[in-house]
Amino acid sequence: MSIHRKCVPFTPLDKELSQLTVALVTAAGVHRKDQEPFNIADELGDLTFRQIAGDANTADLMVTHHHYDHSDADQDINVVFPLDILRELHAEGFIGGVAREHVGYMGYTMQLRRMYEETAPAIAEFIDKKSKADVIVLTGG
Amino acid sequence: MRGLPTILITVSPEASAQMRPPRALYPKEFKVGNSLGRPGQRELQKQVLQDALLMLTGPAYPGQVLEREYPAYHAE
Repeated sequence: MSIHRKCVPFTPLDKELSQLTVALVTAAGVHRKDQEPFNIADELGDLTFRQIAGDANTADLMVTHHHYDHSDADQDINVVFPLDILRELHAEGFIGGVAREHVGYMGYTMQLRRMYEETAPAIAEFIDKKSKADVIVLTGG
Repeated sequence: MRGLPTILITVSPEASAQMRPPRALYPKEFKVGNSLGRPGQRELQKQVLQDALLMLTGPAYPGQVLEREYPAYHAE
């Protein structure tokens, strides 16, 4: 299945980084250890996402994903979900803030249309309403 | 809903380019699972994230994936 896109959805930005609040959205299968893991048993994939608070302890995060080698992320989650680094950049004044909420989902799916038409807009709405972020950094596995 | 500016850090540049992302950075030769670098490479991870963030406010190349070299990734 392919997704046809007529134009690039580019959103301009006219603020300085030091005024911007940043959220992370990762397809690398990151979630809190006390959250329900992604369903890797379903060969169609998992269309759900997990919310991760901006003040989460990164030692409490883990990866559930079976379509990339996440042994490095198991040692240091910042290699796919740089929340500790984002907090450092905020402390240094490089960015204006760390968003209240961030998002992890499992990028592997055979249901591309549902991912595109349902999951992605749900994540965007969550970021817009709950995260209060100005910009988003996206990462994959 | 207002638009949300995004910057993608990708380690699968060919696949990402097909989606024509608004802003995207490929740290050259980083393997899948190492979007920001290797475990414990804190300075490198920070550099990649800073470079990505700067692409939000810098010159725009919508639909393109920009490559950048990070020799520190290969240092043991």
